Amino acid sequence: MRPLTEEETRVMFEKIAKYIGENLQLLVDRPDGTYCFRLHNDRVYYVSEMILKLAANISGDKLVSLGTCFGKFTKTHKFRLHVTALDYLAPYAKYKVWIKPGAEQSFLYGNHVLKSGLGRITENTSQYQGVVVYSMADVPLGFGVAAKSTQDCRKVDPMAIVVFHQADIGEYVRHEETLT
Amino acid sequence: MKYDPSKYCHNLKKIAENLTENIPITDLTWELEGGNDPMSKKRRGEFSDFYFPPQKMKKVQKSRGPMESKGSDSSLRINEVMESNKSTQPVTAHKKAPSSGMPSQSLLVSTSSTPTPDHVIFHTSDFEIIWNKSSMSDDDIDSEDELKMMIAKEENLQKTRHSLVNESENDPFEVVKDDFKSDIHKLHSSAKLGNDCEYDSSDTDEIIAMKKNIVKVKNSTESSQPEQPISKKSSFKKIEPSNDCVKVQKTKSNKESALGHGVKCLNPKFPPDSNVSDCEEESEEDEEYKALMKNCPRVNLTLADLEQLAGSHQKVPGKDDESDDSQNINQCIFDTNSKTPRTSYDLHNGRQCICPEDIVASLLEEEDTYSKQKPEETTLKPKFQAFKGIGSLYAKESVDKTLKETVAFNNISEHQSSLKHEDHNRIFIENGSKCANGSSSKLTSCQPAKKVNSPNHIQPPKRQFTVESQSHEVVSSTSFDKESKNPPSCLLPLKGKKSLNLGTKSHKIDCDRDTCHLPESRKASEKEGTDTSNITSFEKPRKVCLREDNQKSTASFSLSVSNASCVSAKDKHAEDNQKRLAALAVWQKAREVQKKLVHSALANLDGHQENKKTHIVFASDNESESEETPTHEQNNCPGKEVVKESVVKASGKLFDSSDDEESDSKEDSTRFNIKPQFEGRAGQKLMNLQSHFGSDERFRMDSRFLESDSEEEEKELNENKTNEDELAAEKKKTLNVVQSVLNINLNNPTSKGSVTAKKFKDIVHYDPTKHDHAIYERKQDDNEKESKARRKKKREEAEKLPEVSQDTYYNIATDLKDIFQNKDTNEKEEDLPWNEGCSGEETGDVSDAANLTSGAEQTSGFTFSFFDSDTKDIKEDTYRIEPVKRGKIVCQEDPRFQDSSSEEEEEEEEKEEEEEDVTKETDHRKPSPGEAFPEKETTRFFFFTENDDRLRGSNLFWCGVGSSISRSSWEARTSSLLLDCRKKHKEAKRKVKAN
Repeated sequence: MRPLTEEETRVMFEKIAKYIGENLQLLVDRPDGTYCFRLHNDRVYYVSEMILKLAANISGDKLVSLGTCFGKFTKTHKFRLHVTALDYLAPYAKYKVWIKPGAEQSFLYGNHVLKSGLGRITENTSQYQGVVVYSMADVPLGFGVAAKSTQDCRKVDPMAIVVFHQADIGEYVRHEETLT
Repeated sequence: MKYDPSKYCHNLKKIAENLTENIPITDLTWELEGGNDPMSKKRRGEFSDFYFPPQKMKKVQKSRGPMESKGSDSSLRINEVMESNKSTQPVTAHKKAPSSGMPSQSLLVSTSSTPTPDHVIFHTSDFEIIWNKSSMSDDDIDSEDELKMMIAKEENLQKTRHSLVNESENDPFEVVKDDFKSDIHKLHSSAKLGNDCEYDSSDTDEIIAMKKNIVKVKNSTESSQPEQPISKKSSFKKIEPSNDCVKVQKTKSNKESALGHGVKCLNPKFPPDSNVSDCEEESEEDEEYKALMKNCPRVNLTLADLEQLAGSHQKVPGKDDESDDSQNINQCIFDTNSKTPRTSYDLHNGRQCICPEDIVASLLEEEDTYSKQKPEETTLKPKFQAFKGIGSLYAKESVDKTLKETVAFNNISEHQSSLKHEDHNRIFIENGSKCANGSSSKLTSCQPAKKVNSPNHIQPPKRQFTVESQSHEVVSSTSFDKESKNPPSCLLPLKGKKSLNLGTKSHKIDCDRDTCHLPESRKASEKEGTDTSNITSFEKPRKVCLREDNQKSTASFSLSVSNASCVSAKDKHAEDNQKRLAALAVWQKAREVQKKLVHSALANLDGHQENKKTHIVFASDNESESEETPTHEQNNCPGKEVVKESVVKASGKLFDSSDDEESDSKEDSTRFNIKPQFEGRAGQKLMNLQSHFGSDERFRMDSRFLESDSEEEEKELNENKTNEDELAAEKKKTLNVVQSVLNINLNNPTSKGSVTAKKFKDIVHYDPTKHDHAIYERKQDDNEKESKARRKKKREEAEKLPEVSQDTYYNIATDLKDIFQNKDTNEKEEDLPWNEGCSGEETGDVSDAANLTSGAEQTSGFTFSFFDSDTKDIKEDTYRIEPVKRGKIVCQEDPRFQDSSSEEEEEEEEKEEEEEDVTKETDHRKPSPGEAFPEKETTRFFFFTENDDRLRGSNLFWCGVGSSISRSSWEARTSSLLLDCRKKHKEAKRKVKAN
């Protein structure tokens, strides 16, 4: 367990900022306490100071997880967000996509969102913008990348992909063994 | 042939003609017209919502493993793309083929692509990919690569699709703003009421909330989770009466059959006893959640039946105890009710209630009523007693009391000993079952509810008996001591078998129980010497006896039965019997004494029913017990006595300690003092330690344990500080990174700003009395203000009407007209002052002089009525060359000027000033050539008067001697004067513009 290097921090923040933009600073600079990012087993954990202190009592090889896992660094030193970060992305999300009830299941099985399943989208969403995917009942289901801008979404045919799947809460079941 | 449209054959022919038109085969389609709404789509066979889009290609890389280095990233990507292309090819090919045809068809095919075999294959492979994806940690590909792949793939797809894309916005989707807040929750719940759970992504809480509404509306046919509690309750309630009825029947059968063996006979009897609706529930002993849900609709049925049956059986109150085993359970319920005067009330309730809760409540009431009426049933009743409000009990008491009293009277009057025996046993069982089954099942979830129903009431008789016998053994083995409360109380949980906190509810009642058990234990002990099996055989029949209230000679009978079972010990039995009888006599005496005590206690208590509760609360250690005790009292009179006794005893015990109250009070006074050793940081530690140990005297933490561990504290503090510093530094770093990533100049504005905003530390309150605060004063403002004020003043002044002395007024003579008509020159004279400022001064001067001279000459014959009377009086006015006044006079005369803006006025003023300057100069100049004008003559009236000083010089001026000189000099100066004038005018204009 160690703090992130500057480079790692930058890579991670760039990724997170795709989804929450400048709200990122709210994650770093929280009024309710000190929170920090820790790297452990290639995974980045978002930990409160208190838990960090407690976790310091556990040897590194025995420690499985602490705080909230935001994602992991791949072997190519890129950052991949995990669905566990959804709890922190959803409240701050700048661009959102709501999907219809019929498409929920498909999305939760790891599929992309088609236009036919698109129920609602934030205006001015640009292409390849990170979006958080909600159900029509405003339950955060996951996040993805907008394949089309909002304007393009109007034009494309119903089978076109509008949101590329990145992570969904179905992973809690599908990837139970790897999510920490 | 004429075409007749009314004839069929003619029409046929017509159609045939139409068919001759050639329709190209390509124009034939299977397309169904319709919009793109889901229904019409489904009609066409498109199920787009369930169509699985092309999958992510993550897994393709998985086979590569982590050996791939960074360098191979690009090649990797290429491979990915290739593979993705491969995988998408079927789709594209599939879509291309029809696209060559008609566009309408192709669109259709492209969207409804599921049935084609190619597609299916594609799908399955994708599914394999997804489901084989074992772990995310293994795949080295990150989301960006993945995205690129996807994008590439999409582009490929789009190329193929592009021709097909119609610009229609068929699938409607909302576009919302950033600050969109959906009101889905409101809509959701309301919509849910209408159509049942088509959409299930909401919380279970929501569903429950919704379903409750539904249940209230009595749409409870669709059973689901939310209904569970209610259905549970209702089914539970419904079953309960059935069991009671079973018990009733049991007792009846007991009456008829042999007592000792009735127990075992009863168990097989239950299935036939149970109603058709109930047999399922009773047979299901390992019932589960689903089974419960199945029962839900049945609730309604039975309730309806209940009502019907109630209506029918209300008229037949005669069938009480003699009801057959095959009788309907519901009938039983109402039979039991029909005994009581409450039946009508209950039925009334049953009809009234609409909500299931009400029905449940009414059912409860019913049960309560017959639980009171049939004391032998109380073994099962206690389950519901928690639901009863005590107030309601009190309300019913007037009715119940009579019943109770009669029962009690019967009980007491005949065979007290045996009755006691029964009652106490009943209480004993009651407590067990109450604590174990009733309260727990009420509070816990549905499964206990059913367990309570079937296992507890049908099978458990055996268990209870065994436990009971055990307890009796224990009691007998210990002693006849009244104080031995523990064994039964310990065994109760066993009986209860549901892990209840019976041990904590201890137990005046247990004490009483012991007293009740005393004879039993004696008997048991008597028999213990001979045979243990004898005891069990003895207990079993006794348990059966418990059920019968009306039976009088239970104890002896049961004893006889038990005696019959042990043939070998017949000799001893006679002795035992004698001993027992003696013991009973002794015990009876003791009881009577106790009863007297109780009666005396009750005499007070009966008067104040409301106070009873509080007493019981004091007596009991536990709330649940306190709730139960009053129910005891009301259910059975002898039990009541016992409880009362217990109350008395408990209260006695409680106030036993009141003897040493004084010493306690002393202790109390010191108890709440602040203990110095618990203060401060170290004290906190000590306090925690102390709280760990509890209030054990041996581990009292006094000041000796206070550690002076300042060093450790310091260390800790230092560590904390260093940690915090590190974290702060880290935070700074991360914030810098954030800044760089977001390209925002954070400057830590949020953090610092927020901190300062929160703490309001550095806000300076300006205090004018402090000298340092002079810094905060602004000085330039004063100047501005001053200037502004001055300006305002000026403006006000300008707007203000010049003060005109009231004394001066114009007295217009009537002959004015004539005068002016006659004297034209006088008019000119009047105009003269105004012409003065004009450019043509020379001529004016000349004419002026001429006029004046003429005026002066004519003064003798002409009286100017303007000044005749006044001029002499008011000559003190100083004559000043004041431009403003002059201008104002003009303004005063002309109303137009008053409305004019201040700027204009200012301009005018300035102009006039200039003019005045000029005139002044001229004035000053005028006297200079002649030198005749002395400076003193400043006190003048505005108008010329007789012998005006000003007119005096005109003579000189007019004399003509220096005229040529003056003219030449004047001409020399005019140019310079003109220049000067223009300059000033320009300056003035500039100023105005600047302003």
